[in-house]
Amino acid sequence: MSRGSGGGYDRHITIFSPEGRLFQVEYAFKAVKAAGVTSIGVRGKDSVCVVTQKKVPDKLLDHTSVTHLFPITKYLGLLATGMTADARTLVQQARYEAAEFRFKYGYEMPVDVLAKWIADKSQVYTQHAYMRPLGVVAMVLSIDEECGPRLFKCDPAGHFFGHKATSAGLKEQEAINFLEKKMKNDPAFTFQETVQTAISTLQSVLQEDFKASEIEVGVVSKENPEFRVLSIEEIDEHLTAISERD
Amino acid sequence: MGDSQYSFSLTTFSPSGKLVQIEHALTAVGSGQTSLGIKASNGVVIATEKKLPSILVDESSVHKIQSLTPNIGVVYSGMGPDFRVLVRKSRKQAEQYHRLYKEPIPVTQLVRETAAVMQEFTQSGGVRPFGVSLLVAGYDDKGPQLYQVDPSGSYFSWKASAMGKNVSNAKTFLEKRYVEEMELDDAVHTAILTLKEGFEGQISEKNIEIGIIGEKKEFRVLTPNEIRDYLAEVE
Repeated sequence: MSRGSGGGYDRHITIFSPEGRLFQVEYAFKAVKAAGVTSIGVRGKDSVCVVTQKKVPDKLLDHTSVTHLFPITKYLGLLATGMTADARTLVQQARYEAAEFRFKYGYEMPVDVLAKWIADKSQVYTQHAYMRPLGVVAMVLSIDEECGPRLFKCDPAGHFFGHKATSAGLKEQEAINFLEKKMKNDPAFTFQETVQTAISTLQSVLQEDFKASEIEVGVVSKENPEFRVLSIEEIDEHLTAISERD
Repeated sequence: MGDSQYSFSLTTFSPSGKLVQIEHALTAVGSGQTSLGIKASNGVVIATEKKLPSILVDESSVHKIQSLTPNIGVVYSGMGPDFRVLVRKSRKQAEQYHRLYKEPIPVTQLVRETAAVMQEFTQSGGVRPFGVSLLVAGYDDKGPQLYQVDPSGSYFSWKASAMGKNVSNAKTFLEKRYVEEMELDDAVHTAILTLKEGFEGQISEKNIEIGIIGEKKEFRVLTPNEIRDYLAEVE
């Protein structure tokens, strides 16, 4: 099997194209959008909130089994946007890593260490031909002992950044534009404001009002540093507060 | 390395004798954000643009300049994720040298080992070259040193160099401004002016990063406040 670099293979595996691009990585980003879901993450003064659409494609599906929010440890949460199967692999490995870390070093894995680990793993897939990049953008959140509330986003290219607010998925760019305006003056959101900003951003960008069963919300806060998913009733309260506010 | 299905090199010679994957990697470097380094008589400075994709990104979580040992620092142009891999490998090599010889690794040795890793990835099976060029700044018994390492694994020692988008303007500027007896403070000012040359938008302490190493042989990244003071001096 003879192969020439740039002999059409730059689109099949992660080797460089003549312009210095990695097509497989770019296609992985497209796969994230193709899932048709948008997610939002917002960091407040002492809490972090992530919101994603809950699309149940078939009425016969057990909707409680459809989720994109995964606790990695008690204190670390992960929101996966994109291909669900890839997401589950990532979550599985992340849970193992976090447990190993706790065992080896005697303290909980900080969220930036987890984000870096996920990003470094993603980088390996962009450099070795035998594994394709994962079609997942992961947002990890936690209340860090030293730095307070933190939100990180890791993408298929192996980049990771800390964010004051961010988005991933189909309407990523529109949501980021919306959030840039809201966060321009570095507002210090309370817990309620954080959750409501995240939900209302999603509503505004997708131009629809949600029912509580159509979205998933995950939060961590200084009072409750354990990562938890809000119940339908709690989501309803926030939705009502948003519509009364408008 | 890698699956047996891919135990052949992806970087192969073209009929004209070129390794095109390496050339493409250099193109990737050339579209990265500008970075530069200047060797002064009593130290070295490295600097880079830190343009983030959105104002929502927490710029304090982004570290483009990293230290490899207490007296060696590095900056890159090109793909951030590839840079992180090289930083990790280099740090490990520095530690292994120290464990064996009970001495801090000389700058030339660390550069050589890092370059060897980069070369491996141009020849091994199933992998692509690294899409980064590195500027390694260090101060050891041989004095201040600045090396540039390319995706091919070749490296050279420089008095001053630049990489990334604005490389040709930056190098021309540096050629005019460089003097052999430059001191570290002047070098920092020159570095800032060089970055300013091709900078789109307003330069500030939030969108550049600067690392220095002086006679005390301690590499450190300047805080935003220190950068702000230098910027004020340059105005």
